[in-house]
Amino acid sequence: MQFSLTVNGESLDIEAAPDDDLASVLRREGYTGVKCGCDGGICGASKVLIEGSAEMACGKAVQEADGATIQTIEGIGSQDELHPIQQAFVDHFAVQCGFCIPGMIVQTKELLEETPDPTEAEVREAIDDNLCRCTGYQKPVEAILDAAARMNGDGAVATDGGTPSAPNACEGTERNGETNE
Amino acid sequence: MSNENDPKPDGGTASHPEQDVTEFEDHPLEWDEPENNNLAPDERASVSQSAEKDDDPKLVTGQAKYTADYEKKFPDLAHAAVVRSDVPHGRVANIDTNDAEEMDGVHAVLTPWSDETPDAKYTSAGQSYPEPSPWDMNVLNEHVRYIGDPVAAIAADDAETARAAADAIEVEYEENDYVLDPEEAYSEDAPQIFGDDEVENKIVGHDYSRNRMSQIEGEIGDVDGAVDRDDVHVHETEWETIRQSHAQIEKHTTLAYTDEDDRHVLVTSTQVPNHTRRQLAHLFDIPIRDIRVSKPRVGGGFGGKQAMVVEPIPLALALAADRPVIYEATREEEFAGMRSRHPMKVRARTAVTDDGSIEAIDLYALSNTGAYGSHGMTVAGNVGSKPMPLYSKVPNARFKADIVHTNTPQTGAMRGYGAPQGTLALEGHLDEVARDLDLDPIEFRKRHYMEVGDLDEIAGMMGGEGAERRIRSCGLDECIERGMDAIGWGDIDQPDEEHRHRGIGMALSAQGTGVAGDELGAAQLMMNEDGSFHLHVGGVDIGTGADTAFIQIAAEVLGCPETDIVIKSSDTDVTPFDYGAYASSTTYISGMAVKKAAEDAKERILHWGSKLLEEPEANLETGDGEVYSEETGESVSLEEIGYEAAYGHDEREHILGKGTHCTEESPPPFAAQFADVTVDEETGEFEVNKLVVAVDCGVAINPGMAEGQVEGANHMSYEMAVSEGITFDDDGRSEVTSFGDYDWPTASETPTIESILVETHEPTGPFGAKSVAEVPTNTVPPALSNAIRETVGVRITDMPITPEKIRAALEDDE
Repeated sequence: MQFSLTVNGESLDIEAAPDDDLASVLRREGYTGVKCGCDGGICGASKVLIEGSAEMACGKAVQEADGATIQTIEGIGSQDELHPIQQAFVDHFAVQCGFCIPGMIVQTKELLEETPDPTEAEVREAIDDNLCRCTGYQKPVEAILDAAARMNGDGAVATDGGTPSAPNACEGTERNGETNE
Repeated sequence: MSNENDPKPDGGTASHPEQDVTEFEDHPLEWDEPENNNLAPDERASVSQSAEKDDDPKLVTGQAKYTADYEKKFPDLAHAAVVRSDVPHGRVANIDTNDAEEMDGVHAVLTPWSDETPDAKYTSAGQSYPEPSPWDMNVLNEHVRYIGDPVAAIAADDAETARAAADAIEVEYEENDYVLDPEEAYSEDAPQIFGDDEVENKIVGHDYSRNRMSQIEGEIGDVDGAVDRDDVHVHETEWETIRQSHAQIEKHTTLAYTDEDDRHVLVTSTQVPNHTRRQLAHLFDIPIRDIRVSKPRVGGGFGGKQAMVVEPIPLALALAADRPVIYEATREEEFAGMRSRHPMKVRARTAVTDDGSIEAIDLYALSNTGAYGSHGMTVAGNVGSKPMPLYSKVPNARFKADIVHTNTPQTGAMRGYGAPQGTLALEGHLDEVARDLDLDPIEFRKRHYMEVGDLDEIAGMMGGEGAERRIRSCGLDECIERGMDAIGWGDIDQPDEEHRHRGIGMALSAQGTGVAGDELGAAQLMMNEDGSFHLHVGGVDIGTGADTAFIQIAAEVLGCPETDIVIKSSDTDVTPFDYGAYASSTTYISGMAVKKAAEDAKERILHWGSKLLEEPEANLETGDGEVYSEETGESVSLEEIGYEAAYGHDEREHILGKGTHCTEESPPPFAAQFADVTVDEETGEFEVNKLVVAVDCGVAINPGMAEGQVEGANHMSYEMAVSEGITFDDDGRSEVTSFGDYDWPTASETPTIESILVETHEPTGPFGAKSVAEVPTNTVPPALSNAIRETVGVRITDMPITPEKIRAALEDDE
């Protein structure tokens, strides 16, 4: 069957079986930043933004997403122009193996759009279904809190884990905002 | 082949006769350290800076490629599925593959009797050669020993078809009696899991009539004599640990194909590319040179990939189907068919005088190695040889272990490698002894733990003469002091409610840094004409940041920016040899090889600098991307040197450096753990308010990454204290088949973990570094048990610590 999706701003017509899971479909289309760790909607590595809402693509049939606007990790910043969330993860050493990180950054993007100034408890709750084996969650939580501060233009809150540069980070936000969102 | 006469429980096999070991035998305190290895903080340009992790820009943007991401490069790629045993013990009586073979899209079906299925025995353990693990496995099995043992394999157009074909294979089993409990397994009337003729490369102390794959024992001094003395109290405690899953988020995944030059290529998620290549050569009877093992980004390993777990299956299928095959384990297979931490019972016994002098420590472990013996002896050996040397001032010490088979999935290497089990027993035990004798638990430990200058004989207890080590760096005092400050030792507020109590527990730990006398790392460096470098290193980055540490080490020597070094690691066709990512060795061993390679290249760079600056080499140094004269202040850039070396008129060379490294040393890193807990004495419910762990890892090459290692290890350790791990029903079937069943602390269930790095200088390591990533895996179970004991007076010895156990213990107490 034919399905149409808008992925990272591009319209895609996709041939797939209706119950093919969205993560596999996106990966087939080359969006391999969508990771699969669990075979079924638990670990959070496959999270993408569907109409702005962070959802595990592996737990969703492609037909349920027909016509939807989707943003994957590939649509959030680029290597040369990291999104402030991505930059905060780098600066805080919140990334080790990196397998869970695309899903965690996608989840963070949803969180900070809805709750720009979250508490630590709110951050931990938001990423509660983003399983990470490497970090003990400590540095990702610090990174997310710092990303919130950067996106609010409050560079002073940056913690000791990184070398944030608030003005540049904010410029980055705006540029990314225009090109990637 | 046999290891029987050559046990070395630290993971090695024997001292290498070709090496000159005599220079190490007297273990001098003054290490012959090059001046450039010991840099003051203000002399370090790259080392001990929190340089950006090299692969981070790719990782945070989803551009990094893990094994499964290579699929699109192979249009005719087939997908594998595996038929696994449905009975805990038996023999395949009949296997009907007709329906599967006739399905559309199926390219190959392999059974234990297929031509392409290797029939040689092997061990999956990724260890040095010959492996100190028994060759007791087959790739596909007629004799199945656990629910999940591989029986048949399929390659088909896609994963769904492969799974459907696997389901269409009918296997009839002739069932045998089975045994799940290690104590029952270790009796003469238990079902025998291995026939004597079913194992090659048997390990010291095996007795397969009682399901024992190995028994090891070592002693210094006279433990029995000390225990019998009139002036000592003898204390004995028993401890039990969970079967922990590695639970790395990327499943075991391998893509195998034969390339245009008839060589066999495996892109695989592994910690041990070189060991895997050697093991595949053995299994398939293919020359090592014709096998290429390449590691892309790896989504975590933690020891679960210190093994050739899945690679033979896709390679056999690729040969049978004559096309590329990828095998990605399912998460259910990860829990029931891959590897896990050895569950153990550990008994600790000490003889202590009235005034608190420990005269003897005696540990005994019963380890459940599951259906196969990979890493069985060596992990058990580390239960003693890692924790016990911490108390090197104790004159009498003994360790003994029995390692037995059960009809449960096989265990393997896992971060900590036996030390977590031993540390729980020893640190919990010492806390109990201190309480009995009314001694301060920290002062009690301080009287006995190692310090700089000590000759640690306990580390050599299992390895014979000359295996002891000298302690040349030790930051334990400062770890304790800073940890106490951070946790608020002696200065915590009690909750308002009378039935809730708050307290702090602590524990110490030591690990090793590499396997003494049984490691090898190598690196080479090539300079480009623009002054940049290609660094090729065998060392294996599985998400640890090792690549970045290698770059920093090379950059420090070469005096160039980290961004001028392009790293290529872990591809056996391209990169030099390395034992792999395990035993806390990567920064220490492979990092030192990188340092040597960089120093080798630097010699040639200085030669060209001398030529261009017309100054003697002795006056020259590298820094800021230049060679400069300390006399005149004149400088020449690395780029000018690169062009001159490549295109000069009267002389030319490609500037290359090479380095290999091995050592008899394995200096211990140290950790002091603190756990702050609030317990409700009515319900047994408890809350861990905070974990603090201070670690002496020598000089942290990259402090930001090192902290990340410490925190991640401490989370894994916390899980060992509070989670059930993998459990089985009475039929031997795993009760954990998905992340949904595996009860590990999520982000909201994990307390704040404060990591503290205490810098010491380890003269045998690159720029003073020793290991960091394993030692914090050992310490939360004892610290939390001790905290509960401190807070409400009850002792939990069998993990996990649960409200139910605390409540039951409180009720018993009343």
